[in-house]
Amino acid sequence: MTRRAPCPSRRAPVGRAVAGLAVLGLAAIPAARAFGPYEADELSDDRRAPHGAMSMDAQQQALAELLEERDVSEVPPPIDARLWELMVPEDNPMSAARVALGKKLYFDVRLSADDTVACATCHDVSRAFTDQRPTSEGIGGALGKRNAPTTMNAFLYETLFLDGRVESLEEQAAFPPINPVEGGHPSREAVVAAIADDPEYRRMFQQAYGRAPNHEDVGRALGAFQRTLVFLDAPFDRFLAGDEDAISEEAKRGWVLFNGKGRCMSCHMLSPANPLGTDDEFHNVGVAARTQDFEQLAAQALATLRREGGGKDTIDRLALETEMSELGRFLVTTNVSDIGAFKTQGIRNVGITAPYMHDGSMRTLWDVMDHYNKGGEPNPYLDGGIEPLALTEDEIDALVEFMFTLTDRRFAEQNQRELEAQRRIASRERPFRDEDMAMRRVLPFERRVLGEQQESPR
Amino acid sequence: MTRRAKPKSVESKYHEERESLFEGLGRLDRRGFMKVSAAALGAVAAKGLTYTPFSFLPVTVAEAQAGRSFRFAYISDSHLYTRDVNDRFVRQLLRAVDDINAMDPPPDFVLYGGDLAQLGQPEELALGAQILRSVRVPVKMMVGEHDWFLDMGDEWQDLFGEPTYSFDHQGVHFVTLNSVLEEDFWTERNMTPMERMQTVAGLDNTIQSRFMVGAEQREWLRRDLAGKPPETPVIVFSHSPLYKYYRPWNFWTEDADEVQAILRRFRNVVVIHGHTHQLLTHRIGNIHFHGMLSTAWPWPYAPEGLPELTIQMNRANPFDPNDGLGDGAVDVHPDGLVDKLYNLWNRNPIEVSRTYTVSRGRRDVPARPNLPSY
Amino acid sequence: MRERILCGAALAVVVAFAACGGAQQSGEQGAERGGEDGDDPAAGPEAAGPEGEEAARELMAQWRRQHPDREWIEKEQETHTIVPPADNSDLVGNPQGATYARITERDVALWERETMRLVADGSRVFHSADELGSTIAVSCDMCHPDGSNTHPETYPKFQVQMGRVALLRDMINWCVEQALRGEPFAPDDPKMRALEAYILAQRSGTELGYGRR
Repeated sequence: MTRRAPCPSRRAPVGRAVAGLAVLGLAAIPAARAFGPYEADELSDDRRAPHGAMSMDAQQQALAELLEERDVSEVPPPIDARLWELMVPEDNPMSAARVALGKKLYFDVRLSADDTVACATCHDVSRAFTDQRPTSEGIGGALGKRNAPTTMNAFLYETLFLDGRVESLEEQAAFPPINPVEGGHPSREAVVAAIADDPEYRRMFQQAYGRAPNHEDVGRALGAFQRTLVFLDAPFDRFLAGDEDAISEEAKRGWVLFNGKGRCMSCHMLSPANPLGTDDEFHNVGVAARTQDFEQLAAQALATLRREGGGKDTIDRLALETEMSELGRFLVTTNVSDIGAFKTQGIRNVGITAPYMHDGSMRTLWDVMDHYNKGGEPNPYLDGGIEPLALTEDEIDALVEFMFTLTDRRFAEQNQRELEAQRRIASRERPFRDEDMAMRRVLPFERRVLGEQQESPR
Repeated sequence: MTRRAKPKSVESKYHEERESLFEGLGRLDRRGFMKVSAAALGAVAAKGLTYTPFSFLPVTVAEAQAGRSFRFAYISDSHLYTRDVNDRFVRQLLRAVDDINAMDPPPDFVLYGGDLAQLGQPEELALGAQILRSVRVPVKMMVGEHDWFLDMGDEWQDLFGEPTYSFDHQGVHFVTLNSVLEEDFWTERNMTPMERMQTVAGLDNTIQSRFMVGAEQREWLRRDLAGKPPETPVIVFSHSPLYKYYRPWNFWTEDADEVQAILRRFRNVVVIHGHTHQLLTHRIGNIHFHGMLSTAWPWPYAPEGLPELTIQMNRANPFDPNDGLGDGAVDVHPDGLVDKLYNLWNRNPIEVSRTYTVSRGRRDVPARPNLPSY
Repeated sequence: MRERILCGAALAVVVAFAACGGAQQSGEQGAERGGEDGDDPAAGPEAAGPEGEEAARELMAQWRRQHPDREWIEKEQETHTIVPPADNSDLVGNPQGATYARITERDVALWERETMRLVADGSRVFHSADELGSTIAVSCDMCHPDGSNTHPETYPKFQVQMGRVALLRDMINWCVEQALRGEPFAPDDPKMRALEAYILAQRSGTELGYGRR
């Protein structure tokens, strides 16, 4: 095998010469600006909000510094115009009035029953538009069962929530305010009632949608606002656009591994037209299988859905309050193939959105690599594409390095701090690491079938 | 601001209802719970939630109530190399064994459908035998061409006994055949045993001969069935399909017509076969044929000759080395006809029901693919 | 008599040359197949007649026994079904008198032979885990007997496993790296060219429909 010429396509499989790459996000982005993590206990009292968030005023100020003024009815520069058409619902075209209304709602704690939780509580501007906690805290300090995804670039998903139970941002926005462990409002009507008497809102709803406050338009406005949270200007994009120096040599090796030996690209599809890095599909990668008996949970879920109907309100509550949460997509489809399957999360800004996985059970990207390197956690519903990867420590480091190049440059400092913090944690503990599994000395399912004690067949 | 008491969580409501559900059951064991929740099935179907279950417990129990008399499971076509050569195929057989061991209630027995080894080597067969020993129910072994042509079955027979045998279970007469015999193509070519094996191991290798049961086994079969009344349910296990589908790939048994003739006098005959690594359904008169899934790799459908009753499985996703693969179960009804379950990993299971073949494809039609073979 | 025998030897040289060319195309196999030999029969003047043919056949057979790999195209064709290239024999002639259009039977045979060499070489690689460099003893034919389900007619297309638009060779390399756990080929690697040739040949007659999933 000595005569094979080096294959240029292996260096950068997407290829920097691909037409259209140049438009990827360089033009309309304001000057790089650094954001540090606003740890709640470091904040002065006037900048602190309940549940560990930064105060809503301070967040809005931060947001204003992040987002440049632009005509929101235009296609955001990095986004493919044809795909943008498919992302914006026909009944909710973008307008400045709608975005302004959505922004006001996003930071309004009245969307919760006790005036402590806004969207921005768990999707906090100062915490990478998430809460950087394993699972989120709602009214009364109740903890949900799932990790809050960042709202940065969330408009790119085809379905929302980690089980994809809704298909638009508009529909998604209806649920957290009425979920008992999030906003805690008893009904959609109660949500509207909480803001309907505010003259400012009456004016803004009139301006945005030509009518009085109502529940559907709350969702629409929040959708419109989130379509302005475009954070797709990362060093990696400049690398793709031809700037060889935009990312390190190690990150470039990571990108090759991402496309090859690491098998990442098959689910985390990443391309100019699909910049989020997700296939928008649902896979059981065995995160929940560490602790769950899927069949028993599935039986419970079927019985519960029978009693309560399979409505989305029910699913929303099962997903956030019960152990059945771990069934993931199954709660939505009741398809056996969806047991324990969760939506492939985008990987944009992944460096600053720890902890990871649907339950926030992994603290660092090294943990995530360890999980995939050993082939996930074997269970009867494990996605067959998840198999041991035999990645070396160097290769894992390169992949992590690559992932940290996907953070928007407006968060460059935060990204660097997070990289160092994760590296420190990973140097102390790697709880998901299993060299025997990763290197295929012990095979997935082997311990389940043959038991721990028995000598492995050779 | 409207205030109200903290709503009762779904979980606490669920626990309350579960308590009442189990009232009178006495013991809250898992099996009992599953039986109760089987009642959920009707409701699920009424909602239009259609899927076919495999080891998914509530539904399994519901099926037991739907008139089948017993169930056996199958694993087939694992094509093991030793694990230092190929860990993937070993892992996939392990996964199948894990599936079978998780079945609750367990199947009466497991049919191993042949091609345990890839090149018939003693180490490959020994590895397969060791893994199959962890199956918690009895295993009925069938031989495939990959097991046979290195040493013409010596090692396989040392491990597993005669490849041709019959047994009775719950009123059904089971027959296992060695359908992968071939006319000698190797002597005149001076082939070594390994060359012979590798020739047969290539599905599209044109040097090898066609599979056959052969006169000797046909005679054995005739004697084995002699005196059995025509209403005896008969289920035949053969590695190759006992009919003629596609000759170039030996999806074919050269003397299939002669074997079918022996089976023709029975009211209902079912043939379960391996080799084709795909969802495959056929019916010739009284004989209903079902393929088995492989645990190693899926075959595409042949370019011609596909039986009309077959509804293709979607072509496999190459990213997922387990896609298009799996194991399955066979639910035997009192008349000897079967519901055939294909437990496709990471897909919804597909059931080819007894009523589907009986109605010649008019009723209980399985879901059609949107990505057929090219 | 000697002259007649030499006619067969001349044929053998043609075969030897063909084998060398094929071997060189697929790389290091050339060494195994023999390459330049000192004992090649030398070329000679033309001869004919039944005795001569018989003797030539005998000599050829003897030569073939000594050099079994020289017939690798025939062997590959015997072992696997290879769709033949289009038949150009209806083009023989030169009705309008142009040099470029002067086509002889030998031209047609040459084209067929050279094309088949590449395609047969592809078949050989396609069916060999070793040639493909698989580290898990997997070859293309295990999932694609006779090149089935390879759908070369659908490229270029968005290949979801890669998250990008792929050419046939990209998909071949993807399979080599993922399904076979081997090292991808350079795009101009002789084995890659041969694999593409075989796959396209096997789908001869299929309508092109690029972009089809």
